[in-house]
Amino acid sequence: MNMAWKEMKKNKGRFLILGSIIFLVSLLTFIISGLANGLSQDNAALIKDLPNGQFFMTKEANQTYNLSKISNKTQTSVLRKHKDAVAFSIQMGFINEGSGKQRSVAFVSSTASPLFSKVNKGEVVLDRSLESDGIKIGDTLTNNQYNGKFIVKGFVDQSKFSHAPVAFINIDDYKQIYRIQEMQLIFIPGGDSGETITGLKSFSKDQFLNTISSYKAEQLSLNMMVWFLVVISGMLFAIFFYMMNVQKIGLYGILKAIGVKTSVLFTMMWTQMIFITIFALTISIALGQVFNLIAPKGLPFSLTVGTTVQLSLTFLLIGFVGATLSGIQIKQVGPLQAIQQGEV
Amino acid sequence: MTIFTIDKVRKTFMNGEMKDEILKGINLSLKEGEVTALVGASGSGKSTLLTIAAGLQPASDGKVLFEGQNITAMNQEQVRKIRASKFGFVFQFAHLVPFLTVEEQLMLMLDVADTKLKKRQQKKEIAKILKLVGMEHRKDAYPASLSGGEKQRVAIARAIIHKPKILFADEPTASLDSKKSKDVMLLIRDLTKMLKMATLMVTHDEEMLSYADHVVKMRDGLVQ
Ligand SMILES: Nc1ncnc2c1ncn2[C@@H]1O[C@H](COP(=O)(O)OP(=O)(O)OP(=O)(O)O)[C@@H](O)[C@H]1O
Ligand SMILES: [Mg+2]
Repeated sequence: MNMAWKEMKKNKGRFLILGSIIFLVSLLTFIISGLANGLSQDNAALIKDLPNGQFFMTKEANQTYNLSKISNKTQTSVLRKHKDAVAFSIQMGFINEGSGKQRSVAFVSSTASPLFSKVNKGEVVLDRSLESDGIKIGDTLTNNQYNGKFIVKGFVDQSKFSHAPVAFINIDDYKQIYRIQEMQLIFIPGGDSGETITGLKSFSKDQFLNTISSYKAEQLSLNMMVWFLVVISGMLFAIFFYMMNVQKIGLYGILKAIGVKTSVLFTMMWTQMIFITIFALTISIALGQVFNLIAPKGLPFSLTVGTTVQLSLTFLLIGFVGATLSGIQIKQVGPLQAIQQGEV
Repeated sequence: MTIFTIDKVRKTFMNGEMKDEILKGINLSLKEGEVTALVGASGSGKSTLLTIAAGLQPASDGKVLFEGQNITAMNQEQVRKIRASKFGFVFQFAHLVPFLTVEEQLMLMLDVADTKLKKRQQKKEIAKILKLVGMEHRKDAYPASLSGGEKQRVAIARAIIHKPKILFADEPTASLDSKKSKDVMLLIRDLTKMLKMATLMVTHDEEMLSYADHVVKMRDGLVQ
């Protein structure tokens, strides 16, 4: 007989309260984690969306990419050796619209590579977010340090750096604007080849992202919130089941006295815990995904299925641990205790 | 026929630093189809003896023999199996499971006793017993909606639904008025005869003794 189910049916209120708490906490966790992910996307989609690989900057730059100047000699030899490698630079700057409106962008220029937009001299490819701000293909844009004009050639999705839309420009234009001959970074796609280059320091993608100080601080605090919530929800589970179990000590004693196995009592608790958690998670996953769809464009929010699944499994695991820890009393309660306690 | 023997059972509790011997060598045997009443002053150790006999707590010394086996020497799981399938209990309070209907309480007991009956047979069996205790009309009721006497009758039904060999009852009528107490006593006596159980029952109530085949009095940790 399914006692777990019968009890939930009879005490709907009690279990609904537990379920709604789990629902609220998990929804909050999903949303914060969606924000963390959205912000990190907004901050560094340009880098994040590159495949895994090695990033190189000069040792003297001391982990600050815009202080790095890779000599042309080194660059040429690396690019010759690795056909898919690319040298690129990122500089924060401004573009002026015809109306005189100024916008902050991240100028990116690179050697020829399928990983970056290809742009000819005098052209610019912009992040899609600028399109919704009213810039159209064929518009001309200017820059205070640039003599000519940029013609908007196209838009690309999800190209952001340091919360600014990326503007891909030709390498020659870049050199003219910033009066510089060297590129800052070299990227070799495809895992960690263990490649070392004299004078350069190698970073994995994550390591490189963490050299961007705003990125690191932002992600650290958001992720801390997420994990705090997860821990809190684990404690909620433990406390809630503990209280329910304390109320049921007498009942457990009686059930043991008539011969119910302890394992049956644990299974009953686990069944209830798993059922409630899955029930609550289903609703909050659904709402999280709805939020993902309807979140206003300006709000950096991105909740991937992978993250959702990972967090959900964590919730289940932590609920299981919390319930089990609080259920140790089930094992300890003796049948006599209940009989002597009087009416349950 | 004797089917249950309590042999020189002793029980000592630690009372702080002091050892307190509550049972000082109890001998008692129970026969099929007979009700044995256990009486004695409060604190004389009646409940202690009953719970030791039922395998709910260990004895300090002595044997409890059921079907030739000494249950004081068994491990917890072995005792649990015997309790689940061969013993029935009625306590002072009904101790029903609050979230199960009357019928479900009995179904649970049949599951626990591992009777391997099909659901249909279970229901038939349950209907029979509920009729016996006069509760068939309340089979879908939850305990909260039953009176004290009704609860106790369900508790008795639960104690015998799996056809135990031994029925233990600790003041089963203590929470009932005298009219209901008599009904419950009659029920216990009749069921004992009908199902050929051996019943050991603790009572405080002199009036209830007329329903017993034997009366055993406890005093100073011994039976007289
Ligand atoms: N777990 C225990 N630890 C210590 N002392 C105990 C324990 N259980 C019972 N006792 C003591 O053993 C004695 C007998 O208790 P028991 O409950 O068997 O009495 P009783 O005859 O059933 O009394 P009543 O008629 O009041 O129910 C009492 O003095 C009680 O305090
Ligand atoms: Mg007692």
